[in-house]
Amino acid sequence: MNHNDYSRSSAPFAVILSLLLPGLGHLYLKRWYRGIAILLAAAVLSGIVVWYGRPIWYFAPAGVWLWNAWDAARLAKGKGAPILIPVLFGLAAAYGIGWHMVGVDFRSASMERAAAVIRPMLHPDMFQKRQELNRMWTPIYVPCSTTETVPAARREENGKVAFVTPDCAGVLEAAIVSVSGMWPDTDTIIWWETNIGDDKPLGGNEDRPLVVRTDENGSLATLIHVPSTVLIAQPDPTLMLEHRVYFDQYRPLGGIELSTNGGYVLKGIAESVTMALMATTLAIFLAIPISFLAARNLMGGNPITFAVYVLVRTILNFVRSIEALIIAIVFVIIVGLGPFAGVLALTIHSVAALAKLYSEVIEGIDPGPIEAIRATGGNWLQVVRYGVTPQIIPPFTAFTIYRWDINVRSSIVIGMVGGGGIGFYLIQWIQINQMGAVGAAFIAIALVVITLDYMSAKVREKLA
Amino acid sequence: MMREGFCPPSFLMHCGWTMLRIQNLTKVYPSGTKALNDVSFEVKDGEFLVVIGLSGSGKSTLLRCINRLIEPTEGKIFWDDTDITAASPSDLLKIRRHIGMVFQQFNLVKRSSVMTNVLSGRLGYVNPWLSLLGIWSPSDRQRALKALERVGIADKAGSRADALSGGQQQRVGIARALMQEPRIVLADEPVASLDPVLSHSILQYLEQLNKEGMTVLCSLHFLDLVHRYATRVIALKDGVKVFEGLPSEIDRAKFKEIYGEEAQEVRAASFEAPA
Repeated sequence: MNHNDYSRSSAPFAVILSLLLPGLGHLYLKRWYRGIAILLAAAVLSGIVVWYGRPIWYFAPAGVWLWNAWDAARLAKGKGAPILIPVLFGLAAAYGIGWHMVGVDFRSASMERAAAVIRPMLHPDMFQKRQELNRMWTPIYVPCSTTETVPAARREENGKVAFVTPDCAGVLEAAIVSVSGMWPDTDTIIWWETNIGDDKPLGGNEDRPLVVRTDENGSLATLIHVPSTVLIAQPDPTLMLEHRVYFDQYRPLGGIELSTNGGYVLKGIAESVTMALMATTLAIFLAIPISFLAARNLMGGNPITFAVYVLVRTILNFVRSIEALIIAIVFVIIVGLGPFAGVLALTIHSVAALAKLYSEVIEGIDPGPIEAIRATGGNWLQVVRYGVTPQIIPPFTAFTIYRWDINVRSSIVIGMVGGGGIGFYLIQWIQINQMGAVGAAFIAIALVVITLDYMSAKVREKLA
Repeated sequence: MMREGFCPPSFLMHCGWTMLRIQNLTKVYPSGTKALNDVSFEVKDGEFLVVIGLSGSGKSTLLRCINRLIEPTEGKIFWDDTDITAASPSDLLKIRRHIGMVFQQFNLVKRSSVMTNVLSGRLGYVNPWLSLLGIWSPSDRQRALKALERVGIADKAGSRADALSGGQQQRVGIARALMQEPRIVLADEPVASLDPVLSHSILQYLEQLNKEGMTVLCSLHFLDLVHRYATRVIALKDGVKVFEGLPSEIDRAKFKEIYGEEAQEVRAASFEAPA
């Protein structure tokens, strides 16, 4: 009985076996690999679909199941069915389920929310108009004491006089605040500072600044209500304490200056760049000796040094596979919040990355010049200085600058987990919805990254 | 043995003195390869001695044993009356500076300037600490410029070495060797990486130096170059010296003996070298 006759006669049986269990018919036909592959693929696909639990996706394993029976029938007659069909079933299930798992849902995008975030970012809080501040304040006592005498709520300074009538008031009670000797015909912002230094606006429904214009003599008087929240943090609300009412006038001086948040942006950027610089510098000193241990041409000589080489390489590969961000989270716990944690994290990651790059430079060194310098009668140090150093310094420098460039980018992200730098400010501004400052930080980060990227590319080009 | 007139007239005083005596030189590499097997010969002052042989016949090993870039396993090498193989490390450095070397792959530091590459030939003479700082005396810089002038590329002093063509790089290599004020130049296949026309130009520089009194010990591939430049020839086969004599003595039979029965002579250039 030849092979073909045997196969043809057993075709229906093979189909029945394959319908019972995918691949079984193939095994019966002695197509071992195909049978096992179909069994595994059908099992994995069914497992995923059952785990995901949406009946619609059962079509994929069902399709594979049917194809497998068809394939068994065709194989029994000689040539199998196209493999593309089960592959397409598998891909359809993978992408379909994947689409749902990552929650692709464009309907969730809200233009209003996008505008609320993006619009303030388009007015980056980096600079402000220069202006002069004319400030005066007076004490006010809250609430009125029944036992103590109330001091006069009045204050004089540089010809300016401010006072409140009456001297004391309870929460939400009215009082008249007056000031004189200020700049004439100027808008004056009046606001409250509690005994513990909290600012409270006095305008609108306690949610807007109160602005009153002084008269031609520089005086004003207006009615205020003691804000509802001034006693919130007070353990004994009956105790009379001194609060303050401030009068602020602004006058443009011409020109622009850095805003408060702009100052923080600069400070953060400087911190990030410095963190990267410190980390890269520390990493150089640690990476150079390690790189010699990781260079195959130096360590391949005998079994012991080769074992050291393999060990060092393995450790480097392991450390390099851990993102600096993850290392930073650990160091924030160990040394506390701030740039130092970030520097340590960046250093660890950079050592692993630089040591590998350096070792590859050492492995690629040309022995010719070394031989030539030895032949001139140069001593060992001269051979290193004239034969080795010129070959490794330029690529070392290029890799180091590139690493610094990468570290500046990393340090920005590391700041977000408490590692200091601009990221540290950025994450706080995002949390308190100061999107103007976020916009300024974005611009500053982009400028620094682009500049460094350009400079490092130029320098590396020169060194190549 | 000696071809008539190979001694340059200006150097008759020393001509024919034995400068280098190689006795029973053997080199066995740690891998067990016997690169040189009991090789003995002499190099006379003022000659252009060429070493021929197939790749792997031990030519490079032989040249590198002479200045001990490779430590010989057995045998002695006498430099005048000093035994190089027994020299202390510091004496070895002093001997090396009188032995210039030119390499097949030029062995320049590609990223360094031509000037720095040439100056490095002076390292055996200068104050080591100043040289480590990269400080060179004006007289050494002057000497380097002169050396570059002699090989015709003084205008390239400021270029990076790898910006030069192969022939120019080899001329830098020769200038570097000249900085050593050597009494002998070891040239290891100096033209094997160059095309035939450049081969002649490089060998003519060596020939010129030889005519001015410099001894040259050179390994070569092409037999026509040997006929053109050598005053004397030794041949190596599998680390054994199989021939020593005048270039004219290498006939067809000798050639087959050195290079094997299968070998066909390949000419370096189809035209005669310019005189």
